[in-house]
Amino acid sequence: MKSVFPELNARRAACFLLSLLLALFPLTSLSVHAQTPVGVVEPQAEMGVAPDSGFRLERIRVAGGAELLTIFANLDGLRTGESRAPEVPLVSVLRDTMGDDTPENDRLRYLWMLTYAKPSFTQRIAAAVPFFYNRAGNKGRAVGHGAPPVLIDLSATEREVWNKVFWSALQNLLLDAYGFPLKATTRAYHRNMADHRKAHIVRALAVLSLYEAARGGTPLFTRSELHDIQARLMLTDKTLGGIVDDIHLQRVFQKETTLVRDVRGHNWELLRQRAEAESLHFEPLEMPDGSATHAILWAARPDLVARRGHAFDKRFLNIENPWRDDRLLNWQGYTETRYFDAENRPVEPGTEGARQVQLIPLALYGLDHPKIPILLVDFRAGMNPKRREISRRVLEDVTRTVLSLSRFGDLPYFLSRSVYDFVTGRRGMDVNQPSRVRAYSQLKLLLSLNASLDPALRDQIASRLERVSMNPLENDLRAETQVARDQYASLVEYARRPEGLPARLDRDRRAEMMPLKHGRKGQTLLRLANVLSFGLYTHREKATPELAARMELQRRLAYHERYLREVARSPRVEVDWNIEEVRRSLRFIEANSEAASGRMASVVASIFARTEDETAREICLSGLYRINNETAKKELLSIYNNQQVEARWRGRSAEYLRMAVRENQMIAPSDAKTILSVVGQ
Amino acid sequence: MTILPSLRRRPLLRFSIIFSAALFIHQYGQITACAQARRVVVIKVDGLPNDMVDRFVRERNPRTGKSQLPWISQIFYEEGTRLANFYVRGMSLSGPSWSLLDTGQHLQIKGNVEYDRYTLHSYDYLNFIPFYIANIASRRIDMPGVEVLDELGVPLLVDAYPYDERYNSFQLYQRGNRWTTLGRALPNRFNRSPRELVDEWAMGLETRNIIFDQLERELIGKLSDPRVRYLDYYTTEFDHTAHHNRDREAHLYALQELDAIIGRIWTAVQKSPEADATVFILVSDHGVNTDERVYSQGYNLVKLLGSAAGGGHHVVTKRRLMLDYSIKGIYPLVPLITTTTLDSFYLKGQSTNYPTALLDFDGNERASFHLRDSDLNVLHILLQQLQRRGTSGPLRRALTNAFFRTLDGRRAEWQTQLSELNEELVALRREIEKQSVVVAAQPKKWTKQDQDAGRDKEAIRQFARMDSAMGDERQYTMYAATLTRLLALKPESFDPFAFRIEDVIEKGAMGQPNSVHELQNYVVGVAPGGFVLSADGTLDMQKSFSRVNYFSLLQAVRMRNNVQPGVDSRPVDFTATRISCGQLAAVAGRDCGPEGEAIWLYGGPDKQTLLLAREDAHGALSFRYLPVSNLRQDETGRVSFESVEWGAGFPLKYYEDEQFGVPSGARAAWLNEWHTELEWLRATHRTKYSNALIGLHEQLARHPTEQLSVDEPGLSADERLLRRFRKRQRMLAEADMLVLANDHWNFDVRGFNPGGNHGSFFRISTHSTLMMAGGSLTGIPRGRVVEEPYDSLSFVPTVLALTGQLHDGRVPIPVLWKRGFRSFPGRLIQEVLGGREEAPVQNPVAKGAKAP
Repeated sequence: MKSVFPELNARRAACFLLSLLLALFPLTSLSVHAQTPVGVVEPQAEMGVAPDSGFRLERIRVAGGAELLTIFANLDGLRTGESRAPEVPLVSVLRDTMGDDTPENDRLRYLWMLTYAKPSFTQRIAAAVPFFYNRAGNKGRAVGHGAPPVLIDLSATEREVWNKVFWSALQNLLLDAYGFPLKATTRAYHRNMADHRKAHIVRALAVLSLYEAARGGTPLFTRSELHDIQARLMLTDKTLGGIVDDIHLQRVFQKETTLVRDVRGHNWELLRQRAEAESLHFEPLEMPDGSATHAILWAARPDLVARRGHAFDKRFLNIENPWRDDRLLNWQGYTETRYFDAENRPVEPGTEGARQVQLIPLALYGLDHPKIPILLVDFRAGMNPKRREISRRVLEDVTRTVLSLSRFGDLPYFLSRSVYDFVTGRRGMDVNQPSRVRAYSQLKLLLSLNASLDPALRDQIASRLERVSMNPLENDLRAETQVARDQYASLVEYARRPEGLPARLDRDRRAEMMPLKHGRKGQTLLRLANVLSFGLYTHREKATPELAARMELQRRLAYHERYLREVARSPRVEVDWNIEEVRRSLRFIEANSEAASGRMASVVASIFARTEDETAREICLSGLYRINNETAKKELLSIYNNQQVEARWRGRSAEYLRMAVRENQMIAPSDAKTILSVVGQ
Repeated sequence: MTILPSLRRRPLLRFSIIFSAALFIHQYGQITACAQARRVVVIKVDGLPNDMVDRFVRERNPRTGKSQLPWISQIFYEEGTRLANFYVRGMSLSGPSWSLLDTGQHLQIKGNVEYDRYTLHSYDYLNFIPFYIANIASRRIDMPGVEVLDELGVPLLVDAYPYDERYNSFQLYQRGNRWTTLGRALPNRFNRSPRELVDEWAMGLETRNIIFDQLERELIGKLSDPRVRYLDYYTTEFDHTAHHNRDREAHLYALQELDAIIGRIWTAVQKSPEADATVFILVSDHGVNTDERVYSQGYNLVKLLGSAAGGGHHVVTKRRLMLDYSIKGIYPLVPLITTTTLDSFYLKGQSTNYPTALLDFDGNERASFHLRDSDLNVLHILLQQLQRRGTSGPLRRALTNAFFRTLDGRRAEWQTQLSELNEELVALRREIEKQSVVVAAQPKKWTKQDQDAGRDKEAIRQFARMDSAMGDERQYTMYAATLTRLLALKPESFDPFAFRIEDVIEKGAMGQPNSVHELQNYVVGVAPGGFVLSADGTLDMQKSFSRVNYFSLLQAVRMRNNVQPGVDSRPVDFTATRISCGQLAAVAGRDCGPEGEAIWLYGGPDKQTLLLAREDAHGALSFRYLPVSNLRQDETGRVSFESVEWGAGFPLKYYEDEQFGVPSGARAAWLNEWHTELEWLRATHRTKYSNALIGLHEQLARHPTEQLSVDEPGLSADERLLRRFRKRQRMLAEADMLVLANDHWNFDVRGFNPGGNHGSFFRISTHSTLMMAGGSLTGIPRGRVVEEPYDSLSFVPTVLALTGQLHDGRVPIPVLWKRGFRSFPGRLIQEVLGGREEAPVQNPVAKGAKAP
């Protein structure tokens, strides 16, 4: 076998080293230290305690005009004995407020899932070992000076898309060319890192959803803000999700939430029916908001005798026949005694007429998995879920890494794999299924939040669950709790240090100022440089009061633009929206017309066409006149030319067009000619 | 004028003239005022529950400060009239329910799927894919439901408008088809900026909306054409969501999408030339039983019927079980699905040839099934045994005797049916010949004018009629031939080895419907102990056969897993079966008359009721509802039961319902008496089962149509026979039993509908939506809420009255009469026709109301 290294030329070697560097340190771009400190304000905490909700929101002000919002939860599931449930910080979000109370110029920046930690060295090495589908111990204490790794940068989600594209190209075009060891290592490492992050995104989504269910919208965290954040997290699953327009975020949230609940209900019912058909007992497990995300199936001890030798259809259940299992007859493991009334409803012990039944747990399933309830714990065969979980991964790794087969490059493989995927997918066979990382991650959260589970059962589930994990980067439940506390302490410390979060905030703002200083071409080049350097280089402007003011104005304009774009979808604005609010946004655009874009002009024109409110219409025309760009004048001309528009409005448009011509505003030459011919000077 | 002084002198004459004038104005004034409506736009929404719409209309959207459903609020709550108590009449099921709304006539189509007992022909009213494929081949032009209604002579509301004056969207009762809609849908969907396309792709393409979006675009386009006087838009999106999701957010999101569509169409109406004369209607076919706290639970009736306890039936369905998990499920032309059982007592391995149960579970909160005529089972079992070589002499004689005793017991009835059917088939063959001449005479090419007038489609319709008739003729002829051979068997020449069973018992045929007696003693196989001979050497018919009582079987079903509070462990609420009043009268002297019909509701051995119905000379219905127990029918047809006192727990639970509109002390007496349909509706509509009593009658009773009357003078012999044939076909589609699910239970086995279901008579499922608004010329009151209860039968006559196409409240104008429209049985919604009376506009958003 020839060595690849002698054949490397300098350029390829550089690429290779760079890739390796990036493969091992993909988060470097998010944890570069600050260079320009700003003034420090002591953190203040606001303890908005929600009685009995189990959740609490804490706000810490950050120097330079931002706030760190952290959601704490009482982990009732981790309570020991009579002690109080431990309160653990779970999710933190940085909101850049520019130091004022106006929501219009706020920007959500970073989201930290505090259980999401940088892996230990051992974990990293294990993650790079091909075909190693096991956990590799826990990360030790996550104490340090740096900030915890960011789960998502909410203000720069598009960067992630380009990074993904670039990484994919690099992997396929370069790294895969250097032989099996490098190919297998980098792929395994990258996959484990991505899965690790995905697991925590799922957890963050669940926490935000539970928080919303418990608290609803609060002055600190509005419902639409929560939905925006959740939508952005949901979109991380999609290849181009990071570049989806903000205007669609509420729709994304609605669609995805509806889908998740549809799947959950569907699996709940599928599992209940299968349990009923096989004479098993079905018990849904609920999150604190009442949503059943998992379920346990039990066998009643009397049935083991009564149904001895009976057939058992294991379709969808994926466990062995309990009626022919001798181990169950002499079961020494965990059991529970339950009581049922004549209608088979579970009742308290001592209820009159209640019948006592001893139950043996058989399996635990996740209900949020596409198509089928997914087996997470088999109480009789610990490796059963794991074998099913790795089936797809092994297939992928063998075909892609060992055999170098690609769906796009090998027709027989494409056809046979398509058929195999279709059959296993359509029939709901629990092999070759999408990863159960979501159900697995949620179950960990459920175990920590659900106080109704017997501690012994919870411990059994937790220990068996860890066997399912095939990601060396995962930590167990107790380790994660410690990691969350440690990371929160680090984050608070980071927020407190002038060279910490405040400096990072400053850098982000200076990067945000870039479009204000550079034209389109310049912006494109600077963004390209950022992408090509994997985020190591980010162009930042030197902050000046003038640029800061312009940035602030741009944020406000963006806020009003997003609002008005949503408004402009309505067939008649005043029916769907509060017209006072609409006018206020229009006035803001009108007053700051010098900074308004062509797209803004189109939105204003669209609102003119969709309202009968006199004041709003007048502001629209005035705004179009004041916005000095070709689109605005084109829209004004179009209103003038529209015979269906009332004559007085067309007259007003003509006046504004005349004034624009007189003021030598920017008008497309063809439009200028038309204006002069129909409207006159 | 000279007449005035004379009037002054004659007060009586003056009074008479004034009185007559007042009467005339009273009678016709409203219609004149309303007749100015010239155009109708109907938004048809499948499964839109009134209560949910009302709740969201009153809730504020925290982002906008407006109602959560601002357009419905604006158009119908502030500027229109809405019915607070509008109900589906009959089952809350799309197929039957839309047929009521689209025709204004009593129910002819009784399920989303129906089966013909003789031929196993299935009427699948929901599956549009076979229709499209047949349409490509120019073999069909109308959806199956429309074809059936055409055969019965019942026109649709859309038929009130000529082809070029209507725009009909894609729907269950779709008249005609437009491929251009499908052709334009896709390009229009992608006709947007690249950025929007990328966003759309990243968010997941919503392919379901492609057609709906195009229909909306086309309807809005058609609004600018003043010739078009009827337009409708049909959507199933909310129903789809509600079946899958129980959560408030999903429902609200789906309703907001609908609200936006309504807003866009209304805005287009306002900009159109006929805005002032346009009636804008939002109507739905049923509600939906959904609850945020409860998943709807499914129960598998196919499995029950296939089990040994359920009779070991091979069960035919028209929906594939676990469709989404089946490879075959991707095949769009769903054939009859036979679920084979291994527990069959005597038909093992013969599921393809001899299914013995036909099940329709669509709608899901109800199911109906046909079982093969129990006596056919007896004959089949006996023949099987007789064809075994080793059967001993005495047993063979006993079996042969039993065979002929059974056959002779039914011979007269079957012979009558056969003779009538043969007469009808002769007439049908002549009709096919005539129709083939009509089809042959159709032009092969069509001009643009022909196409614009719909003549090309009419030609396909003529072909479809012929093709359908030919199919009927072929299938019924086969059945008749087999039955002829069975009836030709005689004891004296009987040789069981001389023929095959399928020569005398038609494959797949269910034969005649089962009586209550048969359903209580249904023969499913040979008894475990085998055939038993009596002392006299005859076959002991009781001991020789295993039998099932389907009423008690269904009621006894209990579930092991009862994990949701408020959900019963019994999936079945009650069963309902038609029973002849004549049989009841003979026993207990009940007074619904021999021609009347009764419905027996079974909620347990001691929780049964009888619903008696009768019609007065004007066709007005009255009902009486009686509690009974232990109803049984013997072999001769005599029915016996015990009269019991009213108490809690009887089917429909009116007696104990707090919302029942009769004082508690007077309920027993009231329930036992005859009351008109309207009295029943007013008394019951707010109860948990709302208008179930009327609905059960609508569903299970037969409703003769004027168009199929064989007594109409001037009919030729063939016409008379063909009418009788069409009536027979409808009767053959009647199921043996209707099974109603308990609250939050469903019988869907095609997949899972955990979000919610409909199909039952629960108020939550029957309480539907009807709202109207209109331009200044339509006279539709603004801001009015109609509290008076109405049902589906009121819809068509009210729309026709609004547009001046009805006189005296029931009878269509002559031009419609010529098109086949006949008097409408439903009440006009007078409150909508009430001129321009202005009610104060109420802000439907309650002060201080907050979104949860």
